[in-house]
Amino acid sequence: MKKGILYLNQFFGQIGGEDKADYAPAIKEGVVGAGMLLNNLLEDAEITHTLICGDNFMGSNEEEAVEKLIGFLEDKEFDIFFAGPAFQAGRYGNACGLICKAVKEKFGVPVITSMHEENPGVDMFKKDVYIFKGGDSAAKMRKDMPKMAKFGNKLLKNEKIKGAEAEGYYPRGIRLEVFLEDKTPACDRAVDMLLKKINEEPFTSEMPIPELDRVPIAPAIELSDAKIALVTSGGIVPVDNPDKIQSSSATRWGRYSIVGLERLGNKAEGAYKTIHAGYDPAAADADPNIVLPLDALRAYEKEGKIGSIHDYYYATVGTGTAEGEAKRMALEVIDYLRNDGVDAVILTSC
Amino acid sequence: MKLEIGNFQVQHVEFGETSSYSKGSLIINKKEALAVVMEDEHITEADIILTKPGDDVRIVPVKEAIEPRFRLNGGPTFPGITGKIERVGNGKTVALKGCSVLAVGKHWGSFGDGLIDMSGEGAKYTIFSKLNNICLVADTDEEFERHEQQKKNHAIRWAAHRLAQYLGSIVKDMNAESTELFELGPITKRDKKVKDLPSVVFVMQPQSQIEELGFNDLIYGWDTNRMLPTFMHPNEILDGAIIGASYMCCSSKWSTYDFQNCPTIKSLYKEHGKTINFLGIVMSNLNVSLEQKERAAMFVQQIASNLGADGAIIAEEGYGNSDADFIECFKLLEEAGIKTVGMTNECTGSDGTSQPLAALDVSADAIVSCGNVSTLIELPAMGTVIGELESLMRDGLSGGWEDDDVLGPSVREDGSIIMANDSMFCGDSVLGQSVKTVKEF
Repeated sequence: MKKGILYLNQFFGQIGGEDKADYAPAIKEGVVGAGMLLNNLLEDAEITHTLICGDNFMGSNEEEAVEKLIGFLEDKEFDIFFAGPAFQAGRYGNACGLICKAVKEKFGVPVITSMHEENPGVDMFKKDVYIFKGGDSAAKMRKDMPKMAKFGNKLLKNEKIKGAEAEGYYPRGIRLEVFLEDKTPACDRAVDMLLKKINEEPFTSEMPIPELDRVPIAPAIELSDAKIALVTSGGIVPVDNPDKIQSSSATRWGRYSIVGLERLGNKAEGAYKTIHAGYDPAAADADPNIVLPLDALRAYEKEGKIGSIHDYYYATVGTGTAEGEAKRMALEVIDYLRNDGVDAVILTSC
Repeated sequence: MKLEIGNFQVQHVEFGETSSYSKGSLIINKKEALAVVMEDEHITEADIILTKPGDDVRIVPVKEAIEPRFRLNGGPTFPGITGKIERVGNGKTVALKGCSVLAVGKHWGSFGDGLIDMSGEGAKYTIFSKLNNICLVADTDEEFERHEQQKKNHAIRWAAHRLAQYLGSIVKDMNAESTELFELGPITKRDKKVKDLPSVVFVMQPQSQIEELGFNDLIYGWDTNRMLPTFMHPNEILDGAIIGASYMCCSSKWSTYDFQNCPTIKSLYKEHGKTINFLGIVMSNLNVSLEQKERAAMFVQQIASNLGADGAIIAEEGYGNSDADFIECFKLLEEAGIKTVGMTNECTGSDGTSQPLAALDVSADAIVSCGNVSTLIELPAMGTVIGELESLMRDGLSGGWEDDDVLGPSVREDGSIIMANDSMFCGDSVLGQSVKTVKEF
């Protein structure tokens, strides 16, 4: 029999109402209050413990509360963690999200909660936690708890998950390919969607446009004493590609010294080349400076237009590279740039 | 234009004395077939290997797939490739269905090449696992590109088209088992009843992003990198006017077979006269510089508007940089008041958390998604490999790698593999076969 642990606030944990909202974190053996319902709905698992914390305590002592609650779990064995449902209660939603996220990070078990769509906890935690679409008040307990339990049973039995919409939780920003059960080919889906769009009937795009993450243009700086670094996703590397950066879908990047170099030598000279598979390499192999403009930047350095050039350049490949990987690599490169006091970066693609 | 395709449903292929076809059985005289392949002196070695669905077989590196066809009007089946330039899409063509000619490297692979498993878990990833495959396995004297990641693969791709035409010719004097009719009259000469229906164009963006000639899709033998968008009849696409490219991550690629059987064209034909007035194809392309992208999108908008399109379906053969062409086109069509639906695949990373397209715009509110190029696929060893398994990791195939800190090499000593969907041969079938989509998890 598998084991689960449930988090409840002071109200659902039967400590008391708003007057007990300062109730400090506690752990109780077995099920309490709303936990009964969950325990009955679990098929091959039981709720062994219940964590309880007052909503105000959690709200005003987040760090302390989470630390204490996690502490209670250190010596417990469990396979799954539940919290709530939190309905439309903002403080409770926040608490469920916080503790679920912390449990997932610390113990690596699946975490499940439920909230009404207007609960601010949804947007705060939907990326980290399975949050089921729930009702607006405790009257919906008998609707919301079974959804959490059903999904918990599924996870514990290692059954295939059918995606956020089919299962009923809020999308987590994870997009994965699936084979359609009804095997409708893309051509028929496209024509069907087009007819609906033309006839002004409702239709559902298979790829909703996500919120765009725009970066504002940086404020201007004084160039004449600035240290400038060159960073490229155009795949310019020493000819032997010492860091084995992949030519597409890259997960690696390299840092190469350009001390004393006036310009980058080309592939024929055995110096630099591009390993980028997403564009015709001929021109860049013949003159890598057209992708990584060291020659032009040296000229500016001599003219005094810029202060100096950072001693290293940084390179990866941008083709097919997942945006998440690009972000990770950028953060790693930024560490070096910050440590070396770089003021500005010229970022070139291909 | 009126195109009649006479179909012969191939259920079984074998070698024999005389090339012939009877009741689902295709017999190939190997010597005669190889003679057609060897017409090009640049082919140094060639063999034909047969494989069918269910075989314990893995094929890699696959460069191209072609449905065996023969045009009965006397001209070449693939104008500009297997013969002179001549307009296609009108008249009669015969086709061997249920099979394809695959161009397979005997040793060497390149960026755009892919992999096909004929059975097991891997067989669900590409429609080519479900066909009787006539594999042309060859090597060439194209020394200049032998160790290049980007190869034109000219000799072997052209040889495979000649072979497909030769195989098609086997049934040229026979009565077809079934006939498909594709007829679409000039736009201004259609019945009022048809004209009153919403008018729809299909905007195709074939792969054309390599500036050097020889890598891209060809239309009547012409490199799509060197064209501006133009208007075409759908029958031309179905009848061999366009052939597949050597460049692009393989699951995003459209092979010649995909063009010949383009399901979206067939679906639009089916609706023509009932729910829509199918105007035809706006043949665009995919470009390198921003100005080229904007110019092409502008032309697409202009052609679609002036044809009076009310709706459009737009499909791109690629992802990443070419998403900019796709989205720009989408935006301009919507700006012109043309209700648009896009067909593409996504690149959300193996964990699914990355932005799906490199370019996005709120106007692109209706998209059919055909797969995630970065899906990791782990497959057991297969009994037989046609081609050379090592090519997947050694030759820079888009979904293979020599080594990875976490995943290790793509090809393991026991013959099992781990790869990105990127190298599944034409796996995302954005021209319409795809039964995959991408969902939020």
